[in-house]
Amino acid sequence: MPYENNTDIAAHNGHPPISRGSDVRRTQKNQWGVVLLFALTLLAGRAGGEPAPLSDESRRCLDCHAKPGIVKFFQNNESLIAYVDIDKFQASAHSSLACSSCHPDFSSGEHPTREFKTKAQYQIRSSLICRQCHTDEQIKKRAVHRGLLREEKAGKPPVCANCHGSHSVTLLSGKSSFTNEEQYCSKCHDRSKTMHFKNNETLSLKIDVLLLKTSVHGKLSCSDCHFGFSSEEHPQRNFRTRRDFTLASAESCRRCHFDKYTKTLESIHYTVLSQGKLNAPVCTDCHGSHEIYRVGKVRTESARRCQRCHEKEYDTYARSVHGNALFNENNQDVPVCVDCHTAHTIEDPLSMNYRERIPEMCSNCHAKKEVVGKYGLSTDVEKTYLSDFHGVSLGLYKMQKGKLDKPHKTIAVCTDCHGTHNIMNTRGAEASVVKTNLLKRCQKCHADANEHFPDAWLSHYEPTLQRAPLVFLAGLAYKIFIPILLIGFVLQILLHIWRYAVNK
Amino acid sequence: MRNTFRRFGTTRIIEHWIQLITFSALVVTGLSQRFYTLDLSRWFILHAGGIDNVRLIHRYTGIIFSCAIAAHILAAVFGLVIKKWQPSMVITKNDFLNAIHNIRYYLGKEQYPASGGRYSYTQKFEYWGIVTGGVLMIATGTVLWKPLLVTRFMTGEIIPAAKVLHSNEALVVFLIISLWHIYNAIFSPEVFPLNMSIFTGYISRERMIHEHILELASLEGATPEEIRAHENENRNRESLPANDQ
Repeated sequence: MPYENNTDIAAHNGHPPISRGSDVRRTQKNQWGVVLLFALTLLAGRAGGEPAPLSDESRRCLDCHAKPGIVKFFQNNESLIAYVDIDKFQASAHSSLACSSCHPDFSSGEHPTREFKTKAQYQIRSSLICRQCHTDEQIKKRAVHRGLLREEKAGKPPVCANCHGSHSVTLLSGKSSFTNEEQYCSKCHDRSKTMHFKNNETLSLKIDVLLLKTSVHGKLSCSDCHFGFSSEEHPQRNFRTRRDFTLASAESCRRCHFDKYTKTLESIHYTVLSQGKLNAPVCTDCHGSHEIYRVGKVRTESARRCQRCHEKEYDTYARSVHGNALFNENNQDVPVCVDCHTAHTIEDPLSMNYRERIPEMCSNCHAKKEVVGKYGLSTDVEKTYLSDFHGVSLGLYKMQKGKLDKPHKTIAVCTDCHGTHNIMNTRGAEASVVKTNLLKRCQKCHADANEHFPDAWLSHYEPTLQRAPLVFLAGLAYKIFIPILLIGFVLQILLHIWRYAVNK
Repeated sequence: MRNTFRRFGTTRIIEHWIQLITFSALVVTGLSQRFYTLDLSRWFILHAGGIDNVRLIHRYTGIIFSCAIAAHILAAVFGLVIKKWQPSMVITKNDFLNAIHNIRYYLGKEQYPASGGRYSYTQKFEYWGIVTGGVLMIATGTVLWKPLLVTRFMTGEIIPAAKVLHSNEALVVFLIISLWHIYNAIFSPEVFPLNMSIFTGYISRERMIHEHILELASLEGATPEEIRAHENENRNRESLPANDQ
């Protein structure tokens, strides 16, 4: 990476303190000249808008340093690209300075060979030269600098170029007064800033203010989420990895969304996370950070968020009767991931608890005429399931839960016959596939089941003379017989008592 | 003249006890499954240790019940064919006439209730209700217990049909016992507080005259009219001194 572009906030380790005394003496003679040149540069740059002409010295240096591939090596074998992009330099705030203004050991005639143990040692030393013009008193006016100066006292010297760049240094602020916090923060963060982590990962800290303003959090101030940061404070934090930073940042959300946060603590995502699998999603992974918007109304988008990690399930879902209706017909009645799995309390879908709630989940739509009626689907599906063997057993197991310490048998629920993400149409061309699959599904629990066995299930239909004549006629016979029997008994008993009373 | 008569032998008394216990257990464990949404059913299921326990009890009690029914049928066939028992439980034309007669008696159009043999038409109704109902319950219960076995030989529709038959027939048998039998054996004014015959094996002369006069007549070699006339005479004789006082 060219050094000029290296506008980093480094996640650096502590470095050995370097004596500043000798450097100050060495460069004091240039100080006034530098200030004068700097002022002139600013005036020239603003007045004309044209790049300032390069000094003779600069031209001489750039004869070599404008050639790509020029590299400086350090004793620990680290390296630094010593190439200078002329265009960027000429556009920089320091374009009219001579090279020796910042590199005092060098001049047109002198190019001493210097040895540095590490790249960091070199960078820290270079930063001390910046601070000969940009005094502590001046830079202290910025909160971010105050934090850096405090850290310097604690043994962590700052590297100016990490934020400001070196040869491409530009003015961060034209004015020193800000009307609000966003303005203040965006002065730096609307540029392509990069955060570096100890494992060499990086993260862009550039914020798209327009996206932020149009997000649901558009009216919040930066420090509402980035607590600890303000126009007064800008703590330096060191993270091992980019993921560590994301995990820590997501903790901000709970300050306002505590209800959702507590729900996530019960979710399988949190369980997995707490087991050390740091890829498990946290708030910002699904919702984003600065560009958060409501996804409730954009159901396809909601499903796509899950796709980021659950691609296989998403693909299967997209081909199912539900996914097909959502993506191809823009049908908003069909469920997306969160309708069954919920958005925050995402339970382990393989748990018994989850399994036992599946008929309830499906009934949320399939027992409601106003939802499924228009597609010609029967709302009896819930009732017929719950009143049959499996449904009754499931209902009773649920009733027993927590009251009896007994393991439950696994009971077939909707998904065992219809599938989960791959739910198919039970009518039309796919119906025969459903029927063929039924025996296989039965055999999962009833290994000896033969081809007659699935007929024991009336496929959610109420028995009729055409569909299940045996069942229908047996039921009808008792519907007639039982009331007659009951009335006969009662009449006999009443007459008997009456006769006894009369005879007495 | 005998005042008590032996009505049931020890085997019948034991048989009734087995039926009483197994039937009650089947009713409680079965109806709590049929009416599983009722609080009472849920209370029972929880206290019986869960639905799996209830089903287990129901099935194994069903086996005992089935054995008792099978033994009874075999004994009856053996008795009727080999030992030439009187077929006193067989439903005859008289039973229908007696039913009509009794309704007329209740309405005040007859002086006496229908002359009953060893078993009255109401008892025959209860008996055949339990025996036929029992056989149907055993058959459908087996289908429900072993659906995989049954569907090897029959269509799958037999399973839901068996379920409808089993749960409805259960209700029929339950009604016969809970309404008809319990009324006749406990709450009927003639036997209240409890008809003890099936527990002690004995029945009083008074009840023999009232309920089984034809049987009494054949036992004593007299006609029902003679027995009734004699009984009225005795009753008048007993009531005279009371009138003098």
